[in-house]
Amino acid sequence: MVTFKLNGKKVQGEEGEYIIQVADRYGVKIPTLCHHKVLEPAGMCRLCTVELFDGRRSRFVTACNYPIWEGMEIHTESELVIEGRKLLVELLLSRCPDVPIIKELATEYIIEKTRFKEENDDCILCGLCTRICEKMGSGAICLTGRGVEMEVDTPFQIQSDVCMACGACASFCPTGHITLEVINNRITNKNARLIPSEYDVGLQNRNPIYIPYAQAVPNAPVIDRETCIHFKTGECKVCTEYCGVNAIDHTQEDEIIEIDVGSIILAPGFQPFDPSKLDNYGYANFDNVMTSMEFERILSASGPTMGHITRISDNKEPKRIAWFQCVGSRDINNCDNSYCSSVCCMYAIKESVIAKEHAGDDLECSIFYMDMRTHGKDFERYYNSAKNEHGVKFIKSRVHTVIELPDSKDLEIRYADENGDIKTDIYDMIVLSVGLETRKETVELAKKLDIDVSKSNFATTSSFTPVSTSRDGIYVCGAFQGPKDIPQSVIDASAAASAAGELLSTSRNKLTKEKEKVPSLNVIGDRPRIGVFVCNCGINIGGVIDVPAVRDYAATLPYVEFVTDNMYSCAQDSQSAIVQLIQSKNLNRIVVAACSPKTHEPLFQETLTDAGLNKYLFEMVNIRNHNSWVHKDNPETATDKAKDLVRMSISKVALMKPLEEAELNVNQAAMVLGGGISGMTTALSLANQGYNTHLLERNEELGGQALNLFKTVKGEDIQANVSDLINEVKKKENIHIHLNTTLENVEGFVGNFKSTFVTDGQENCIEHGVAVMATGAYESQPVEYSYGNDPRILTSLELDKKLVDNDSSLSDLNSAVFIQCVGSRNDERPYCSRVCCTHSIENAIELKHRKPDMNVYILYRDIRTYGERELAYAEARKEGVIFISYKVDNKPVVEIKDGKLTVTVLDHVIGQSMELETDLITLASAIVPYRDEKLAQFFKIPMNDDGFFVERHAKLGPSEFATDGVFLCGLTHYPKPIDESIAHAKAAASRAVTLLARETINTSGTIAETEPGICSSCGVCVEICPYSAPSFIEADARMFPGKTQINPVLCKGCGLCVASCRSGAIHLNGFDNDEIFAQIFAVNE
Amino acid sequence: MSDWEPKIISFLCNWCSYGAADLAGVSRMQYPPNIRVVRIPCTGRMSPKFALAALREGADGVWVSG
Repeated sequence: MVTFKLNGKKVQGEEGEYIIQVADRYGVKIPTLCHHKVLEPAGMCRLCTVELFDGRRSRFVTACNYPIWEGMEIHTESELVIEGRKLLVELLLSRCPDVPIIKELATEYIIEKTRFKEENDDCILCGLCTRICEKMGSGAICLTGRGVEMEVDTPFQIQSDVCMACGACASFCPTGHITLEVINNRITNKNARLIPSEYDVGLQNRNPIYIPYAQAVPNAPVIDRETCIHFKTGECKVCTEYCGVNAIDHTQEDEIIEIDVGSIILAPGFQPFDPSKLDNYGYANFDNVMTSMEFERILSASGPTMGHITRISDNKEPKRIAWFQCVGSRDINNCDNSYCSSVCCMYAIKESVIAKEHAGDDLECSIFYMDMRTHGKDFERYYNSAKNEHGVKFIKSRVHTVIELPDSKDLEIRYADENGDIKTDIYDMIVLSVGLETRKETVELAKKLDIDVSKSNFATTSSFTPVSTSRDGIYVCGAFQGPKDIPQSVIDASAAASAAGELLSTSRNKLTKEKEKVPSLNVIGDRPRIGVFVCNCGINIGGVIDVPAVRDYAATLPYVEFVTDNMYSCAQDSQSAIVQLIQSKNLNRIVVAACSPKTHEPLFQETLTDAGLNKYLFEMVNIRNHNSWVHKDNPETATDKAKDLVRMSISKVALMKPLEEAELNVNQAAMVLGGGISGMTTALSLANQGYNTHLLERNEELGGQALNLFKTVKGEDIQANVSDLINEVKKKENIHIHLNTTLENVEGFVGNFKSTFVTDGQENCIEHGVAVMATGAYESQPVEYSYGNDPRILTSLELDKKLVDNDSSLSDLNSAVFIQCVGSRNDERPYCSRVCCTHSIENAIELKHRKPDMNVYILYRDIRTYGERELAYAEARKEGVIFISYKVDNKPVVEIKDGKLTVTVLDHVIGQSMELETDLITLASAIVPYRDEKLAQFFKIPMNDDGFFVERHAKLGPSEFATDGVFLCGLTHYPKPIDESIAHAKAAASRAVTLLARETINTSGTIAETEPGICSSCGVCVEICPYSAPSFIEADARMFPGKTQINPVLCKGCGLCVASCRSGAIHLNGFDNDEIFAQIFAVNE
Repeated sequence: MSDWEPKIISFLCNWCSYGAADLAGVSRMQYPPNIRVVRIPCTGRMSPKFALAALREGADGVWVSG
């Protein structure tokens, strides 16, 4: 250790360090232009000159390359030093009068104008570029020439072969002398370019070492070997010099790991269609034509414009944006994707609504579409509100030409409107709603695995085994099964897990490892002994907040026994250190001041448990996300804030009590309500995984709605498959079928339900750990189009019945008309029934096959044959089925005159009314839920306005309810075809098994508890709890009759009852009044 | 202009606003360092007593978000 004086203060440094390094550590800023911590010092700019007193006399040395020695005295801001620096800056300013960094220095040293002759250079000859080039291992550039001739260049001014076009010189150049253009024009004969960020779809750039995106898991940087210079020259390694924990290991190599598995699940996803090959939209050439993926980044707060919508060409805010649908989907002229990508209509609407939210109502958004496909749950409502409340315009047309206007770079489009008139219009920006397609690599993977893919390159599956590929044991989920949105992908994912689980159920729990339990210390009644750990998080916190000051401040607070700071508190070695410190220092409360408890609390709690301390004796102080990251320009106030927050948490943690988590046994039986395809599939999946399952059905036979259906869109015979399923369910020993059954009562909670039901008048009671709602839906009775007045007017299911029975009346038909959206997408039922378009098309094709010269018409509003169902739509048109669109305010009219059946409809293309005489009218009637209020009450499960049950999360929790232990699938969730119902059923089974397989569950410790002694029995808590956790103790109980108690299993710890209790009789463990008040009282010192 | 700065106590719901404040950090959004966050499990936990106590302790503002 070398001790010397820096500006009169004693400082210490390591032998061999230079003055500037020590000064930097002590926060003394010495100006420099040529020094960089990863490069050898060169003393080029002389700006870091300081005054050195060696005990006898003063002299001037450059701080960047003068080594420290014992007893020296350094002055960085003495009068002479400043005077010298001023002269240097003035000389630099005369050489480079327009360089920003020099101008800033001039302002700092109060030089308005240089006295010397001004030159027009922008290189200060600092040599950073040549030194970093050397370090990169290429040495392509050097300082050439002598004296006034000196400049940075390649030897002999020849474009270099050795330059690797890495761009390090440009990124190190402080003045902007070396730029990408300079590199490409003068230095290299290769092409130097920025590395586009994959996450920002090329709208921003990234480094060769980078964190892919802010939410990446794990949130650690990766090295791109293709662009990292180290992997080309073996040099550089600059990143290792910045990494404080030596985590970067360039010697790591790819390993081939062999693992034995019983099943494989494929979830390789999709790639967005690349529209640069379509020349009619000009994506490749026009700046202001972008893809929807790029627009997503523009809208994102973490995107290149931070959510501010601007054009690429001129950064102006657009006033008019157009979305073009079906780019790379439903198109065999410009690409090979004949299928519908399913998700683009919805995301285009979403993007237009969010764009309006960001830019204000002045922004005009238009969506050019072929059919608006908003067939998902609550999607139709969203479409309607985009149209009616947000003023998004919807134009039914496929735009054929886009021209970029030369000066403004605005975009002129030409299209034919619904009446066939050619229109032109000008937009500021065009977003191409690109479709989903399977990657080439995925198709190769499929080949390698020997599984079949469809013509559209999606994995081939059957409607009855929607996640099974053509090869046993290999399952598929997500967009490789077919283009689909998030909820459907999540359903598929659970379904695939269930399919694999059924296959491997005998091996369940074979590879689990038990964690060793550390006996827990009893700290009740002990005086708090608090340990405080303040994290630097590398420079994330330490770069802004004065961590040592916060640490030292914490040491002065009451009950604090130990303080330290860590480079990374979450690192494995810090965790082990915390365990040791808890034990050696006898700590009984821990405060970690670091990042967010939402991400890291569980990790530290586990560390406490490992040390034998109750995990609730812990508080986390968020000094990163809530402090250093958001106050980076105010280090002093950020440090004060950190101290305040640490003080508040210390006050709270001192009051924390050890909390218990109750362990509950999970009853290993399941109850499935509904014996349709969904219910049977769930029951079978649960039974195949070894769980006793009760299957309750209201009717006298199993099968549900599927008993009325003819064929799937893939042509599979539904009756044959359903009867196979029924037989399989009946044969299964651990499925207990209860027909003619109604549920009468449900008691209990997750893991321990007790349900009473009546079968044929006889009451039964079963105990079960989980429940699955598969109660289905039914076909509505049409109230329009003269339904019921003529036997030739049928609903879709009635036609199916005739097809199943091979009814002779079908053979005499000369004409058939299908009318879509009967009872759906109207004011009464503002939702799309999802299956009807495909269903009518299937049956239209069937009729055409039976009698090819029959006239078959489908009258529709939007054809919604999403995914590969689109192929059936194309087939129907090829077979000669005639599609006529109608508007909801001008519906077709059905008349029965003199025994003749006619339908009159306005054809938009020819602009005339058409009268179709027909022998059969099929009404695509709506799918309606049973609206079972009793069931909703029994399980405390919510229902939406339409009467469908509401899942836990529309996107991420589609197969379970917010009520623990209760799941849903099939039509009771939303209308869906058989393949989706089966996937949903398997998904519900999968979610249920996650509970059943655990056998026991732990409740949370942070739950409410009543103090019955002071409870006034007012019942407010019972009334307001959304989870029905509080209840009255029975009137005849020995202790506290009529007072309230809280069921720890049902309580979610929200604290609503605590805040509402008039008597103050309820405490919320972990967030009790005392604890929150302690934080408030500690806000000021 | 005086250099007085208000001190605001904010009660943030763990599930939404607290998470949003985390995300503001991840996105490096800059805002004035005047708030002191008290994390609560849900705004249902918020009691008028907390707001009054905060004001009595000298807070210049109370912000409840959830």
